[in-house]
Amino acid sequence: MFRALAWLRVVLLANTLAIFFYRWQSYERPGLGAVVMGALVFWTALVTWAYDDAARRGPVLLAADVVVAVLAILLSPWVKGPGLSATLPGFWVAAAVLACAIHWRWVGGLAAAALVSLADFSVRSHFRQQNWGNVFLLLIGGLIVGFLVGLLHQMALERDRAERTAAAAAERQRLARMVHDGVLQVLALVQKRGLEIGGETAELGRLAGEQEVALRGIVQHDTLTPASLSGTLDLSSELARLATPTVTVSTPGPFGVPGALATEVAHVVAACLSNVRHHVGQDAPAWVLLEDRGPAFVVSVRDEGPGIPDGRLSAAVADGRLGVSESIQGRVASLGGSAALETGSWGTEWEFTFPSGRTS
Amino acid sequence: MVVDDHPMWREGVARDLTEAGLEVVATAANGNEALARFPAARPDVLVLDLQIPEPNGVAVTASVVALDPDVRVLILSASGEQADVLEAVKAGATGYLVKSASRQELIEALSRVAEGDTVFTPGLAGLVLGEYRRLSDEPARPDLPRLTDRETEVLRLVAKGLSYKQIAERLVLSHRTVQNHVQNTLRKLQLHNRVQLVRYAIEQGIDEPE
Repeated sequence: MFRALAWLRVVLLANTLAIFFYRWQSYERPGLGAVVMGALVFWTALVTWAYDDAARRGPVLLAADVVVAVLAILLSPWVKGPGLSATLPGFWVAAAVLACAIHWRWVGGLAAAALVSLADFSVRSHFRQQNWGNVFLLLIGGLIVGFLVGLLHQMALERDRAERTAAAAAERQRLARMVHDGVLQVLALVQKRGLEIGGETAELGRLAGEQEVALRGIVQHDTLTPASLSGTLDLSSELARLATPTVTVSTPGPFGVPGALATEVAHVVAACLSNVRHHVGQDAPAWVLLEDRGPAFVVSVRDEGPGIPDGRLSAAVADGRLGVSESIQGRVASLGGSAALETGSWGTEWEFTFPSGRTS
Repeated sequence: MVVDDHPMWREGVARDLTEAGLEVVATAANGNEALARFPAARPDVLVLDLQIPEPNGVAVTASVVALDPDVRVLILSASGEQADVLEAVKAGATGYLVKSASRQELIEALSRVAEGDTVFTPGLAGLVLGEYRRLSDEPARPDLPRLTDRETEVLRLVAKGLSYKQIAERLVLSHRTVQNHVQNTLRKLQLHNRVQLVRYAIEQGIDEPE
């Protein structure tokens, strides 16, 4: 900001000098005028250097900047004679006002503008509309620039904070991955050796195995961070939560679908799996597959149970009972999908097809 | 050759393999050790943990396959992070197993990988299907690998947890044909990966790979 101000100050100085060389012959004391111009050039060079380092931008320097501007204005009637239409430094004084606005926000901008304006009023014998316009612009400019600088500063702070948070999150994720991998190794080892030793240790091994599968489900799918912001959820990670030592979940990798749909699909699959536990056995193996087929995605749930006997489904409906399969079919249809059931001596397989909303 | 940074695991796996009558020619605790010992040890099969100190399992896979195209790499991973597993397979690994697999499963997987067969988990099959889908979403280019309908069908059944034997029965194919289909799905992906690497090298002005 101060670097931009330095350029502005130089431009304003050039403007002031040009006016002086054009008009100096009509002044009462051109010699003194030249001295004032020399002082302005010196001061411009000095503060441009001084403002360049944040450490030097203290209240003393800024106050001195305003004082120089005010002095230059107060000397104007001496140099030019009474009844002047413009002050000696002219627009150059705006630089000091803006410096205060940058440093002290809108309060500083307004205060410096008020001081400079007062000085300006005091040297004039009469006011014209244009004078008032200049003063008004200075006041408003000091205020607005101060306010904007405050806003920018706040935004920069927020951006820094967001960057720090993101970096910390990434680092946390990396550490979590390392820790999780270590924990998984130990759990898998306990499970393996426990089962080999047998007895009570085998029970410990079995418990370790359950925890291992649950933790692996979480670790494999911890990449969903940006998706949840845009109202979509990673269906793969939703389904991976359903994995157990007997339930295998296969997915194509992160797969975003609208959040409500992901939750509902996971519920439907959970219902199928509970059905498997109910009808085939607590420890019956089951497989869940999510497949991306472009315009549609397909979720299948397969078990190797005895299958559903012919007619049992329709018998349940005839009895006025809403069978599990009916309720599953209903839920899938309400989500805009279709359900297909294949059953035989080799087991039972549900296949749910949902439109993905993509064209290819 | 067994590569794992976890000493208990490394020794456990090595012991299991030795007890099963296999010869463990070397072990290594990290990627650099693995690459240093590989040329002298010349193993038939590398049993490799993906999460090892740099260079990681994916990089080690790529390096050893470049050194010896006949070596088989069996990935043994605790967390099985999806992206890593897929990258390792594209780099040339032909088998993948989670660490909770039993001793018998490990031995069986190892001997199958040694024979040149591919060992898929349903999870890996799902990922490979997803990878082909992503490739098919890219603008059509003749060199992009595509699966035949039959290959897709077989891979889908693997992802649904069917064994090769069950797939053979279901599709009325021989066991060998099913194996070939599964191998092809990986081979096309690995070939594509190599072509990509070579193209990248040429684009970067390194037009003499190796």
